[in-house]
Order: sequence, then C-alpha cells, then structure tokens
Amino acid sequence: MTNLDELLIFSGLSLLALFFARKSLMLRQLAPVLYACILLILIKMSALAYGGAIETSSFTIELLGFEMSWRFDALSWFFAVITLIAALASAVFMSGDWARYYCEQQGEKGLQRYGLLHLVLMLNVFTMLILLASGDLLSLFIGWELVSWASFWMMALSPEAKARQAAVKYLVYAMAGAMALLAAIAMIYAAGGTLQYGQLVAVLTELSKTQQIVLVLLFSTAFSIKFGLVPFHLWQAKAYAYTPGPGAAFLAAISSRVGLYAFVVVFVQLIGFAQLHSLDILHSVWLNIQNILLWIAALTVIIPTYIALQQHDAKRLLAWHGIGQGGYMLLGLMMFDSIGTAGGLMHVFNYASYQAALFLTIVAVVYRTGTSDFNKLGGLVTQMPLTFLVMLIGIIGLAGLPPMNGFVSKWMVYRSLLLNGQPLLFVAAVFGTLGTILSVYKLIHNTFLGQLRLEHQQVKEVPWSMLIPMLALSLITFITGFMPGLILPWIASIQQSIGLPVIAYDLGGIVYDKGGLDMIYVCMVMFYGFGVGAVIFYFLGGRSKRVHQYDNYAGGHFLSSKVRYHYSNNFYPGLMNLIGPWYRGSVVWLEKAVVSLVSLASNLFEHMYRSRQPVMMLAVVMVFALFAVLVKSGASI
Amino acid sequence: MSVTELLAELLFMPMIAFIVGLLMVLMMRKISARLQRRIGPPFFQPLYDIVKLYGKDTQISHGLWHDIGIVMAVGGYIGAEILLPVPGFDGIADKGGIITLSYFLMIPSLGMALGVGQCANPNGSIGISRALTAMLAYDIPFIIVVFGVAWHYQSTSLVGMIEYQQANQWGIFEMPLLAAAGLFTLQGMMGKQPFEIYIAPAEIATGPMVEMSGKYMGGLFVMQTFQFYTAGVLYASLFLGGGDNWFTFLPKIFLVVAIPMSIAFLFPRYRTEDMIRILWKWPVMVGLIGLAFVMP
Repeated sequence: MTNLDELLIFSGLSLLALFFARKSLMLRQLAPVLYACILLILIKMSALAYGGAIETSSFTIELLGFEMSWRFDALSWFFAVITLIAALASAVFMSGDWARYYCEQQGEKGLQRYGLLHLVLMLNVFTMLILLASGDLLSLFIGWELVSWASFWMMALSPEAKARQAAVKYLVYAMAGAMALLAAIAMIYAAGGTLQYGQLVAVLTELSKTQQIVLVLLFSTAFSIKFGLVPFHLWQAKAYAYTPGPGAAFLAAISSRVGLYAFVVVFVQLIGFAQLHSLDILHSVWLNIQNILLWIAALTVIIPTYIALQQHDAKRLLAWHGIGQGGYMLLGLMMFDSIGTAGGLMHVFNYASYQAALFLTIVAVVYRTGTSDFNKLGGLVTQMPLTFLVMLIGIIGLAGLPPMNGFVSKWMVYRSLLLNGQPLLFVAAVFGTLGTILSVYKLIHNTFLGQLRLEHQQVKEVPWSMLIPMLALSLITFITGFMPGLILPWIASIQQSIGLPVIAYDLGGIVYDKGGLDMIYVCMVMFYGFGVGAVIFYFLGGRSKRVHQYDNYAGGHFLSSKVRYHYSNNFYPGLMNLIGPWYRGSVVWLEKAVVSLVSLASNLFEHMYRSRQPVMMLAVVMVFALFAVLVKSGASI
Repeated sequence: MSVTELLAELLFMPMIAFIVGLLMVLMMRKISARLQRRIGPPFFQPLYDIVKLYGKDTQISHGLWHDIGIVMAVGGYIGAEILLPVPGFDGIADKGGIITLSYFLMIPSLGMALGVGQCANPNGSIGISRALTAMLAYDIPFIIVVFGVAWHYQSTSLVGMIEYQQANQWGIFEMPLLAAAGLFTLQGMMGKQPFEIYIAPAEIATGPMVEMSGKYMGGLFVMQTFQFYTAGVLYASLFLGGGDNWFTFLPKIFLVVAIPMSIAFLFPRYRTEDMIRILWKWPVMVGLIGLAFVMP
C-alpha cells in the first residue's frame, strides 16, 4: 500500500467514523485527532515538497475504456497541507465551548446538527483530497463535482432561508461550471480520444485556433466560477457569510482555491505559457488569453475589495476580501516567471492562514455578543484582548503589510509585475491593497475599537479551546512572514515539478541581485524600532493616567454610553463622495439579465414540451420539415 | 557587514534622522514665519516643544492600545530610517528596497489609527477615516512614480538606484516628469497644505490628535520629524543621486522638503474628496506620461 493509498483510505475511514459517531459528543475529541492523523500521513509524504518523486496510488478504475488513476505531486501536497491545517483549526475551534453554544442555538435538533457539521467538514476534506489526487481529466471532473457538492452541503447547513437561497445560488453557478468543464473534456475526448494529462498538449496542437480558444474559454469559465473571478464572483460572499461558524472559516480559507489548483494543472502545467500567450483573439497581439486572464485577475483584485469596503457585516466583508485576494494569486500565476508564480502560489498558503484566523475571530465575537453587524459592535478590545490581537495580526496579513506573510507573497507579485513591465496591473494591485487597508481598518475599528456598548460591558474573552486555534494560525501568519524560507522550498519544488522557472530563495526571503527581500532583517529592524519606540514612550516623560473611555468629551458634551456614535455607514465619506457613483452593480445587472434570459427560454421550452400550444408546435414542425425538404432538394440539385 | 557597523547603523541612523528632522521642523516654522512677515521661533524651539510635551503632568491614556499605537507610530518610523540609505550607512537598506519601504511606512499610520481608535472619540475616527483616504489618494501617484523609477533603474534596491545615478546622471534629469509627479505627491505624503485636512492642526478637535495629550502628542511630534526626514531622503535617493557624503546630501534633502513647505503656506485647505480628485488627476497624469517616456 502506498502512502497515497493510506492517505485516501484513512480519510475515507475517518469520514465513516464521524458518520457513526455523529450523534455522540465523543465527536468533539475524535474529529481533531482524525485531522491530526491525516496531517501526519501528509507529513510522512513531505518528501514531495522537497523535490521527491510523485506518489501514485495503487488503485485504478477502468471505466468505459478509460483508466482513471490517482497521484500526488508537490502541488497536490501543498494544497492538501493547507486544507488540513484549516480543517484542523476549525475542528479544534468547534470542539470546545463552541459546541455547546451551537447546540443551544440550534434548539432541540442541536446535537444532530452539530454532528452533521463535523461530518460535512470531514466530507469536504475527503473530497478535496480526492480532487487533489486526480491523475487525469476524468478523475479531475469527478473530484470537482464531489468538492462542489460537499461545499454546497456545508453552506446549506444553516437553517436560515437566506442561507439556503445563497447555497442554491452557489449550486446553480457550480453546475454551470461543471457543465463547462464537462464540455471541455468532451471536446478533448472528441478530438484526441484520450483524457490523460500527458497527451493533452498533443491534442491541443491538433485543434484549430477557434477550437483552441473555445476550449480555453470553457476551461477558464469552469475554473473561474469556483475560484470566484469577476464576473462569476457573485455567489461567493453571500454563501460564505451564511455558512455556520468555523465551516465558513474552512470554506473561505481553501475551498474556492481548487479553482486555482485547476488553473495551475490545466493552464500552466498542460497548456503552458507559450500556447496561452500565442492564442490571440481578433488577431491582436495584445488581446491574447494570458493578457485577458491577467486583466480579469486585476479586476478581481479591485472590484470585490471596494465592495468589501461598503459592507456592514464582518463576515461579508471578509468573504468579499476572499474573492479579491484570489485575484492576486491568479495575477502572480499568469506572469509565468519564477517570482510571480511563486508569489501567486505562496499567497494561497498565506491567505488561508490569516483568512481562517480572521473568520474564527468573527465567530468568536458572535459567540460572545451574538452579532457580526458592525452597527451593533464596538469597543471590544478591552473585553477580548487576545481575540483582538489575532484579528490585528490577521488584518496586517490581509492588507499585505510587513511583517506578516501576506506581505511576502504580495511583494513577489508586485516584483514580478515590475520586472515584466506591467505598470497598469501594478497600479491595480496596489490600488487593491490600499482599499484593503481602508476596509480592514473599518473591520477592526468597528468591532474592537471605538465605543463599547452598554450591553457588552460584561463580555469576557473567549475560552482557550477557541483561542488556541486562532493563536496558532496567527503564529503561522507571523512565522512564515518572518522566515518565508520555510514555505518557499515547497513552492520551488512545485515550480520544478510543473516546469516553471524556479525561484531563488533563502530563509529570509527572495534572493535577487537587483533588489531582493530579506524578511528577517526587515522584521528585526521593525521590532528594533518598536523596542526603541517603547523605551521612548514608557521611560521618558511623565507617567500617564489610564481613564475610562467615558471620562471624555466631544463637541462640548460629555460622552456616555447612552449617546451612540459608533457608525459603519459611510465610514469613508470623502472617498465615497467621489467613487460612490461607480458602485452601479453592473455585474449584478448582468446576472439578472442572464437569469431572465434563461427563465424566458425555459418558459418557452416548457410550453413547447407540454404542448400547451399545439398550433405553435405544428407550425414549428412544419417549418422544420419545409426547411429539411428544401435543403435536401437544394443539395440534390 | 560587521557587528560594529550594524550596531552603529541601528544606533546612529534614527538619531541622525531625529536631529535632521528637528531642524526641518525649525525650517518649516521659519519659512512660514518669513512668509507671514514674522521672525519665527528660536533655534531650539522644536526641542523645547518635545521636552515640554513629554514633561507634562497630565497624560491621559485611554487604554493599552492607545499607548501601543504611539509606540508603533514612532517605532515604525525608527525602523524605516534604518532601511533608508544615507552616506556611510547603507548596509541594511539593501535588504528591503523601495517596495518594502513604501509598505513599511504604512505601519506607523496603522499604529496611529489603532491608537486613535481606542480613544473612542468620534472626532478621532473621523480624522482617521480622512487620513486613510488621504493615504489612498497620494499612494496612487506615488506608486506610479515608484514603478517608473524602478523600471528605469531596473532595480528595486535603493542602494542600486543611487549607484546607478552616481555612475550616470541624476534621476531628475533622466525622468523629469516622474520627478515632478513625485514632488507633487510629496505634498500629500508630508500632510502639508493644501492636503492637510486629515491632520487639521488648526482645529485639533476634529482630527487624529483629538485625544492626544502630553507625551502622546510628543510621540506624534517625533513622528512628524521622522516623516519629513524620510520624505526628503526618499526623494533624494530616487531622483537626486542620493549622497556621497553628508555635506552634499544634507542640502539636497533640506531643499526637497523646503519646496512643499514653501508651497504649503500659500494655500488654504482642500476637502478630502477634492484632495483625491486633484491627486488622482494631475500627478497621475504627469506620472503616466513620464512612465510612457521611461518605458519605450
């Protein structure tokens, strides 16, 4: 039995175990242990991440003449590790006091629903591993479908009507994506009679240019929908915002990144840079597939980020940022050079580490206060200082500022855009980052800073069972920012295995003779600065006196908890006066147009099908018959 | 780089920055005084001010993060000074480069924002909302300038850029449009009129400083000295060939900051949205045209 067999069988068995244990509270101890074991098996396979040979599974399935096989390479391993870390953190978080809270929240069916949540989380992990292990296009498709359904189930767990609605919306999108993927696979099969990865390139070169473009468009539609690229991003934020607690943290951290995984496998590994770059539309050199994808990525950075800026709910804000951060990954990847692709791939890991932590902090806040609405929060820093710290580290990562890991991967993306002479994309990327800074400050200010509400004055810090996973994720965010060289070998071996130029790195960051990055120095300098700053502040000058926040006045009046002045609406009035008219929701409009078009067509076909209009039916048949006769006779003449 | 060199850099670079920054504050006050036909303050006035602020009896803290915010604001700049290449000290500057430095400089702003946030004064959060919007406004042209400069020198290392300029020609002669856009941006970065609504020193009750007393205000004062110095050194490194020695370097950086300071006192103040509008229009346009010349 190979390592991969062990991994898949063990995660399958774990799923079974959770299924049988789903009605007992033993689940709480069992689930984290199971994730830890799966993680251990992955660590056993860690040779993959340091240039080891591909691990194959001994299973193969013969289906209609295809042989489906499963294997793990450096890329799969990288995504699998992120999946497991996110799942482990979520599971530990769910297993402590949060379990009791959730059961109480859900009423009499509480325990059952809680068991289901654990089960679905494991199902997500299992299907994810199957997808990552896929060895040909058919198994990729099967894994793709499994992941889609598993995440649908997770989203549909919440009993709220709105959540169900969002989940169904996601499902419609996912099905459209699956159909596109299936069509692309069918096209390849029709052209070459094979679905093996290895032969795909040969098939592609045989196709005509139009066919190639159609194929690439089908693939990219399928992947973009899962990945949440503009204009297919509308399902994501709502669906994630309504997913119950830690489940949302898992989904937001990694689930939609399978879109990027597929982009890497199909676009980078199989089709390759030269093909993408030479596939041009309308014979214009500029309008090639690579550039189009780059610009879609740039729009994905900007648009969702500035929509996030307008949200009044913490979960929604983060979910919108999740979409925006995906743009950076694709932006880096599509540059096809060593630094850019490394940045894009590394951002998957970095993003998962802080996004999971940030979602968990919101769940913690909801656990204590019952809401994630900015208008009902504020001032919690004095009550929940450690949760605040986690959120602070998370937002520094999300905004991409040193010393957290988000900075390193974004730096690599910027550096690559700079090296390749892409000024407009560079400005777009920075514009996205600046918008992120504005919006994450709104996030932290409106939950933890500012006015503390009267009803929250008794709120306490969350218990350790919830703090430990959050703090562990923050630690990852910091350590991999301080020493990016811990993650970069994994990235380098991915680049090696899929045939990209390999990045030069050391423990502190990127080695590049015309301006590299050494995070160890940068961080040490920063902490030295903070140290000196602290000495200046605490040891020089008079002693400061700590006063309560209501020992204060503004505008000539004393402030008290009765006067509510904490606001999230129009938090950046200066900016909104200027860019406010741009929020037209054109993509929402597009979605509505497609929906009404489809419903019109379906109505039409329904009428036809059910023969409610026999005359019409007859007329259509007549027209077709006439047409057929005419064509036939025309051909014979 | 030996350990003594490293220690010297860690010790002396922030100290030089502080002293030069104090002199720049003095220069600003002198310029404003001369423009208003006053004599202006005596030589040691900026230092007296800091001593006075730190020595106040009443020092109100609104919580731990109010304090840490000030530590981050001052400490972040102290770190940034060490990453700037100046004559004699450029050992660590190579480890980061211009992109790192641009993001490093946002840490003090974030610290100040956190500190003000903890004060829970509604006017404070209005000030921060304005300050962050202003950052968005001036960073767009700034980043275009950074891109053009880095592309022209084919390097993101400030040390590399200075070496190139000293071997060839100053950046300001090779990229005059980008240099002009950079100078325009500097006005916003230093928070000088007409772009000073977020600091709003004249009506302190509606800005980030609203809850800052004693050494909190002193900390922000120190931060301002660093801010002037950083702006000067950064601009001199990008466009004026950096410095061989302090005798040629100091006039350059004083000249650089003197220009925005002189312009400042001739203007009233723009609203936040007008600030964005003007900064996203003129310097961006000039910067993009400059970029088109730099990138053939």
